[in-house]
Amino acid sequence: MSIRSSIEALIRPSTVASAHCDLPCGIYDPAQARIEAESVKAIQARYQDAENMKGAQTVEEYRTRALAIKEQRASMVKEHLWVLWTDYFTPAHLEKYPTLHDTFWKATKLAGAAKKSQDPAQGQQLLDAIKEIDTIFWETKKA
Amino acid sequence: MIELRRPRSVMTLAVAAVACLVFPAWRLGRLLLRVEVAGDSMTPALLPGDFLLLRRGPPPREDAYGRIVITEDPRPEGEGRLLLKRVIGLPGEALRVGGGVQVNGRHLLEPYAHGNDPAEQHRGVHRLAEDTYFLLGDHRAASTDSRDFGPVARERLSATAVLRYWPPNRFGRLEAPPRRFLGAAPEPAPHVHDAEPGADQGSS
Repeated sequence: MSIRSSIEALIRPSTVASAHCDLPCGIYDPAQARIEAESVKAIQARYQDAENMKGAQTVEEYRTRALAIKEQRASMVKEHLWVLWTDYFTPAHLEKYPTLHDTFWKATKLAGAAKKSQDPAQGQQLLDAIKEIDTIFWETKKA
Repeated sequence: MIELRRPRSVMTLAVAAVACLVFPAWRLGRLLLRVEVAGDSMTPALLPGDFLLLRRGPPPREDAYGRIVITEDPRPEGEGRLLLKRVIGLPGEALRVGGGVQVNGRHLLEPYAHGNDPAEQHRGVHRLAEDTYFLLGDHRAASTDSRDFGPVARERLSATAVLRYWPPNRFGRLEAPPRRFLGAAPEPAPHVHDAEPGADQGSS
């Protein structure tokens, strides 16, 4: 045990006071962004496979619909990430995770890029970036 | 005889020394309270794991704004937990909270506050009764406070934060910020006494 932690244990108050939040703090979850990002990736894969899709619509119609839906889903990824970034995470978190801003910036940029890309590998990059945020998020919840 | 007296005098001294240490400690314990901070709703002013020293009792009436106080969560589901929040609204004021705070129609400037506080969440105006206060967490998007449980009576403000004593790199007094409104000069600090009436009358 270091000298610092010994002192801390010695002077630790017996009373805990909560800077408390039960709602809306409890409702944040990066899973919302992940689910939308999974849709984005799935749409990118289906866009590539449009010629093998069966149905009444033409390939062109199918791809047009896919692009429209992907546009919405990518926007929702951004929205969920922005809410986490600005509402859940605090300056104290940033102190502990100095790359937090950069991580969010890159993830939201990838969500924007997903609107233009029809490559599922790009969608996977977006999912990886959200996974990174998810890891930090759950670490902060344990703290 | 001397040998018999010495142990007795040593004992007396020991008892006196213990009394001298214990009584002030007991007395201080009745005046002061130490707490450890948990939760994020008062960031960045208070971080989880900070150790605070508080004076028992509510803040002075004339200097309550901006003070960080302790009150017991009044809701049944609160299970009597102690909450740390900042005094924002004072007795007699009309408060509109949401998308910022308006006090008697004036927009309050709050450099300590952050986080999204949607205007549509809290449309009502709270008119604070005598001896009641409106408490808010500094992290507006992540705080359970008077927006949830309403204004708090003065007698329920059980302690007022005065000092953070741990961690050492954040040691310092917990001062109340000056109260400022959009487009208005800062209000004078209430504890600064005005000059004696008529003291500067000769200058005009």
